[in-house]
Amino acid sequence: MSTLEIKNLHVSIEDKEILKGLNLKMSTGEIHAIMGPNGTGKSTLSEAIMGNPAYEVTEGEILLNGENILDWPVDERARAGLFLAMQYPAEIPGVTNAEFIRSAINARRPKDDPISIRKYLKDLEETMDFLDMPFSMAERYLNEGFSGGEKKRNEILQMMMIKPNFAILDEIDSGLDIDALKVVSRGVNEMRGPEFGSLIITHYQRLLNYIIPDVVHVMMDGRIVKVGGPELAKRLEDEGYAGLRDELGLDIKLTDDKA
Amino acid sequence: MSENKAAVLAFAKQVAEPAWFTDKRVTALETAKDLALPRFEKIKYQRWPIELTKDPKVVVNSLPQEKRAKITVTDDVALEFGQHTEMIELSDELKAQGVIMCDWQTALKEHPELVQAYFMEAVKDDVNRLNAQHVAKVTSGLLIYIPKNVVIKEPLTSYFIQDATVDQDFVHHVLLIADTNSEVSYLENLQTYGDQTTTASVIVEVFAKAGSHVKFASVDRLGKNTTAYLNRRGHLEQDAKVDWSMGMMNDGNIVGDFDSDLIGAGSHAETKVVAISTGKQVQGIDTRVTNYGRHSIGHILQHGVILERSSLVFNGIGHIIHGAKGADAQQESRVLMLSTKARGDANPILLIDDNEVTAGHAASVGRVDQDQLYYLMSRGLSKDVAERLVIRGFLGPVLTAIPSRKVQNELSDMIERKLVDGQENK
Repeated sequence: MSTLEIKNLHVSIEDKEILKGLNLKMSTGEIHAIMGPNGTGKSTLSEAIMGNPAYEVTEGEILLNGENILDWPVDERARAGLFLAMQYPAEIPGVTNAEFIRSAINARRPKDDPISIRKYLKDLEETMDFLDMPFSMAERYLNEGFSGGEKKRNEILQMMMIKPNFAILDEIDSGLDIDALKVVSRGVNEMRGPEFGSLIITHYQRLLNYIIPDVVHVMMDGRIVKVGGPELAKRLEDEGYAGLRDELGLDIKLTDDKA
Repeated sequence: MSENKAAVLAFAKQVAEPAWFTDKRVTALETAKDLALPRFEKIKYQRWPIELTKDPKVVVNSLPQEKRAKITVTDDVALEFGQHTEMIELSDELKAQGVIMCDWQTALKEHPELVQAYFMEAVKDDVNRLNAQHVAKVTSGLLIYIPKNVVIKEPLTSYFIQDATVDQDFVHHVLLIADTNSEVSYLENLQTYGDQTTTASVIVEVFAKAGSHVKFASVDRLGKNTTAYLNRRGHLEQDAKVDWSMGMMNDGNIVGDFDSDLIGAGSHAETKVVAISTGKQVQGIDTRVTNYGRHSIGHILQHGVILERSSLVFNGIGHIIHGAKGADAQQESRVLMLSTKARGDANPILLIDDNEVTAGHAASVGRVDQDQLYYLMSRGLSKDVAERLVIRGFLGPVLTAIPSRKVQNELSDMIERKLVDGQENK
């Protein structure tokens, strides 16, 4: 079992504090959802966990299996078991999807023991089939010219091939139609197991109909303000974030009340 | 008589070349004195040992086996080591069609009409000192002639290996003549063997007669101690097309002067250059297309990567001459910096003397895209590997335009090696 713990995390971007003392603890075998209104720091949290150099951690700790990883560069965190399905994956021309994923897998293996190409291609084909992706996408350049939905699927494909301990999914549902949403959810559910944990960041409850979380965290203004079970997500869907804010007596201006 | 002239005459006598060619040498030697060095924007090479100061000597060494073993020759190939012709093979089929491929001395003796008609007709010997010195001291080369209407499917390949085991300049000339409606694909490999400090002066003239199509690809790998002037120039007649793909993988200082003269109406030149600079080397690349003909098309695409303390200058010059109605001149030059100590420059220059034309340019010097790097690293790739992948994507548009898959792969491997070395030394 692996654990991921975030303690009193403060993060700034260009001197503006976005996360203001966030706490969260999870283990493999669990699926946690983070919900919250726009502009509340959900993406900042995911980028800070992954180690995006553009985000400055000013206080607190991120512990992976008890070890503080704040000084680790992003690639080291990835090899230690973290994965971030990004909201806006970069396009890399000239590098095919297939060779990129193979490089990512081999980066986790000893230099003298790369994955056999035959096994790799078999896994890749099966996984793409599982995600309703045509195998021709393996030979396309990484994310180049992919539609929004194709990019999201491709993130899930990478997750399934790399098999991280913790996958953070940053608004994986945004811009997806219902069929694509089901495919993406199928991928995450397939990964469920004692060696896999996921932190699902979403604005809407809809995704959580397909991936039932163990824990739901509600985030507002850079902090977790409420923790509950799947029923909390349903309640938010019905009442909106403003209702919860008022109930908690928080003095927070929501940038987007249409939750 | 100056000592210089005596040495040139002695060389000419020893190789028993025809008198008319020796006369050209002597004339050029004289004019060289009064000519200035060529000027290229932002390329400061004037203090390099780029002039041909040494006297030409006959040096005929055989290519050492350890080097020879690394070269896998295909059909229709020329292999020269310095002044020594190791092998020239041309299929009987091509010979029967009248195709000529021969070394320089053979060209002078057996095909004087071709050399007289074309030598220094694309590149001029009376415009700058380097060209004139080249004519005075040329010691090796190759002539390729494709007769009218002959279409060659398989590429012709040459290996020109500079002999830097001796203290002798490398002065090399290539004439490639594609006669009316012919087609040829030609791959040139320019390399250095040995580590003497030398100067190389290499001129390639491509004549694309009406309706012909020449695909010219080169992989240039001159050595660290070779200072080079590399001048490749195309002369295009009506509806002719020349596709240049050049991989500048040299280790030493070099001035690359690449020109296409679009003389004929509807002629078309595509110039693609990929360059990697490493160590402390300086590569200055001046790529020009000049539209004389109506509806002629000249495109330049050059992408380069600079590492360590190296420099790379890309000049892109599109010049549309008055009267070239409907001409098109487009260019893109981009330099990617991997080191804060490297220096890159991309200068677009458009000179337009006619109204009814289309022209455009793009140029940039920048660093590796941080979002791309972050994305790749977030999957566990180390920074160095991620950088190399981004660079591969950056060079991709130029590499994939190279007609031969084999050359593409060779260049990719070479780029990979240079990048790995450069990253280790940063």
